[in-house]
Amino acid sequence: MTIKRVNFTGRRRIARDRVDIAVYDGQPRSFDATINLEGLSFLPHAAVYLEATCAGSTVIERFRFGEVGNVQPPPSRALAKLEGENVFFTLKVVDRTERFGRILGIAEYIRPQRAGKQTVTGRRGILPIEPFELGQQLWRLDFRNDHDVFLLVNKNAPGLIERVRSDPLFYAAIYPEVVRRILNAAIGRNVELDEEDERWPVLWLRFGKELHPAKERPPKPDDPEEDREAWIEEIVDSFCEMHALKDKFLAATSGNGGEL
Amino acid sequence: MIVREFNASGIANCKSFLAECRIHPQMPFPWDLLEDDSLTKRISAELTVEPTHFGPRREAADYLTTLLAPLPEDEIAQNAGLWTWLSLFFFNEVCPYRAGQRTVRNDYSYVFEPKHSRHFYRHLLFIAWYAARLAKPHDRLFMTAPVSSLDQVTDRVMSRLFLTRIPCIFEALDRLYWDEGRGKARAGIVDQKVVKPGDLRHRLPIRVRQLERTYDLFSLTGDQLVELLGVEFQQGDNASAKV
Repeated sequence: MTIKRVNFTGRRRIARDRVDIAVYDGQPRSFDATINLEGLSFLPHAAVYLEATCAGSTVIERFRFGEVGNVQPPPSRALAKLEGENVFFTLKVVDRTERFGRILGIAEYIRPQRAGKQTVTGRRGILPIEPFELGQQLWRLDFRNDHDVFLLVNKNAPGLIERVRSDPLFYAAIYPEVVRRILNAAIGRNVELDEEDERWPVLWLRFGKELHPAKERPPKPDDPEEDREAWIEEIVDSFCEMHALKDKFLAATSGNGGEL
Repeated sequence: MIVREFNASGIANCKSFLAECRIHPQMPFPWDLLEDDSLTKRISAELTVEPTHFGPRREAADYLTTLLAPLPEDEIAQNAGLWTWLSLFFFNEVCPYRAGQRTVRNDYSYVFEPKHSRHFYRHLLFIAWYAARLAKPHDRLFMTAPVSSLDQVTDRVMSRLFLTRIPCIFEALDRLYWDEGRGKARAGIVDQKVVKPGDLRHRLPIRVRQLERTYDLFSLTGDQLVELLGVEFQQGDNASAKV
């Protein structure tokens, strides 16, 4: 349970393992949370909040958990307005005396440790997939959350989510472009590859560096465009090689004489 | 007429009408769609609606707020069939004849898409009700435009959910951007090309994003937020933010 100062804002990062969350199935779903702030020397009257949201959602549901000196769950902990299965929480400790509203401590992107069938638990892959209302689009990347990038998949296309995960045709067609676009966006976030940082740009740039044939560190946003593109294309090439995308594509279409 | 909601087939018919109307702007309005039992059904409360002329969006907001008051707000906010039906009923208001022609906008201006984050706030009737619900009593910035169009101030604010989620944002926006003399938003605050100190289009979202790293903006009052935004925003009569 480490705590450290992360930046010039003065707020402190609270270790995620100080929060234990269980989400229960239902209409709506609800949750229980245990929050341990012992030994963190926050002001005793600082307010404690848990905020819940999910991938692609426009909603943040906010719950007051009393004060640092007296953490108390609110009577209602229904997630009435959240529909997605990838639910995550943010814990905030907020000053209400000296500098009103200042965030004193924060733990972001907390996943439920336990959940029913309607909710995903624990740490998931680098690109969680979320069924979503997308009109006539089949898929879209969602970068709105700082801590994850999601692959949204049209929930009204039966079987599509399974095809996105495993169909060689679909996989070969979309994932190189997904990798390309995410790496490009990640470079734009201008982050450092801090080992403890689990925000999506850091995870993806670390992934890119590992996949790069020369293990080159990622370029910076103000590096020449051709350098950024070259780094990304090396990784996309490696990704396609690693997964043998063309071979799998051809094998999958061989019954059709190699045609779609 | 008793208010109804379209089913999926009704919404598809509306889209067909809109497509047809773009090609033949003078085509007659298909009133029969509105009461066709195969395309519509009654909603949970019996509400009566009459043809009404709306001037500025405020008039539509007041009318719709009163009309829909018997329904739960969450139900209203998610009901694609209801808002699409209302758009068709008030089609002459949201898509008026001008010089004998209609200019039919994108479908989302009339066909409500509650789950689409870039379309839902562009529905011309829904936005009137929604802005009033969200921003009252500080909603006047969003109420001066005609109901048949989506002005840039409303578009810029309502498209940014990280702004609209902040409880005190509308009080702060009203203090920062309302021009008493003009009776509407200050000029120059949503200029697309020119970035001006304290403007709404460019500087406000950037500054709010900065602040939310340090402050719990949900906890603040309008006064506190305006103060935190900084000097560039605290110049209501600042010539730099005017055309």
